[in-house]
Amino acid sequence: MSIFIQTRNRVSKFLQAFFRKKRTRIGIYGPPNAGKTTLANRIARDWTGEEMGQVSEIPHETRRASRKSDITISGSNGSSITIDIVDTPGVTTKIDYMEFLEYGVTRDEAVVRAREATEGVAEAMHWLREDIDGVIYMLDSTEDPFMQVNIMMIGIIESRNLPVIIAANKIDLPAATPQRIRSAFPQHPVIPISCLEGKNVEDLYEKMVNHFR
Amino acid sequence: MPHKCVKCGKIYPDSSSEILEGCEQCGGRKFLYVASESRRRKIPERIPPAEPKSETKEETGGAEGVAEDLYNSVESIRIVSPGTYELNIEKLAQSGETVVGFGKGGSYGVDLLSMMKSKKKKRERK
Ligand SMILES: Nc1nc2c(ncn2[C@@H]2O[C@H](COP(=O)(O)OP(=O)(O)O)[C@@H](O)[C@H]2O)c(=O)[nH]1
Ligand SMILES: [Mg+2]
Repeated sequence: MSIFIQTRNRVSKFLQAFFRKKRTRIGIYGPPNAGKTTLANRIARDWTGEEMGQVSEIPHETRRASRKSDITISGSNGSSITIDIVDTPGVTTKIDYMEFLEYGVTRDEAVVRAREATEGVAEAMHWLREDIDGVIYMLDSTEDPFMQVNIMMIGIIESRNLPVIIAANKIDLPAATPQRIRSAFPQHPVIPISCLEGKNVEDLYEKMVNHFR
Repeated sequence: MPHKCVKCGKIYPDSSSEILEGCEQCGGRKFLYVASESRRRKIPERIPPAEPKSETKEETGGAEGVAEDLYNSVESIRIVSPGTYELNIEKLAQSGETVVGFGKGGSYGVDLLSMMKSKKKKRERK
């Protein structure tokens, strides 16, 4: 069976290379609650009129990667890119069911949620290894950008030579300090945005068209 | 891609004849890919993505089937206690396989077994 599937996939890859241009998959990565799904929804809404996923204040609401295909984004100078957007579960180094209890989730539900969130991280890393061509790394500008997980993730993304744009989200909040994100990652473009209010998202689209080409 | 016997955990390199004839160790006839599943799986397209949340990733399981050398390697996910996990991001970024380790004493098998169960169910449905 396995040999059959492998062969079939090899053939379909071959056919794809002939008849279709390769898809550019852009993954939205970052810690839980940074606003990844909010951005994925905004991109999908702005360019296709449809939503993608469930936004929530509860961390790890997104526990499976989801994808929206064939989104064409145009820049100001008339150029455009067609991409698949992949919304991913937030990446952390520790997941504890206790963190869900304060949101009124029962203990049993919280334990299940923690397990799913753990699998979600494994899945997010799986796609980063296998099938992602560029990354929007999403950070909450009110949080410390030097968290270990951010340093590790940016390092992993760099080691894979993937183009990355850092989105410094939630600049609508008074405590936001996107300049700290700039000084933390001077080697990458940083775009301060508010996904909630839509502030500066045009700048992000412009950057995407130029950077992910 | 290497295969793992679901019954005893013995690992065979790609295109070994045992995969067609049965495991030489236990006679088992079910094998799993142990490396990446990417060639078979696609990122689910989901608009809107409100779906049952009980799906289990294949690689996270492997309770009774984990070969001994897997026990000895650094785990990508450590079960500290049921519902509490430590994740080794760098390890997850490297390997094509998720190695799940138990907390001290190995007394939390139940959690891992439940992962294994839902995984089997999913496979049988196919
Ligand atoms: N103030 C503010 N809140 C935001 C912004 N973007 C997202 N949020 C909120 O942050 C929380 C987490 O958002 P979500 O998109 O689910 O984050 P994810 O875990 O990264 O997918 C939700 O309560 C959102 O409403 C923003 O630009 N400003
Ligand atoms: Mg999300």
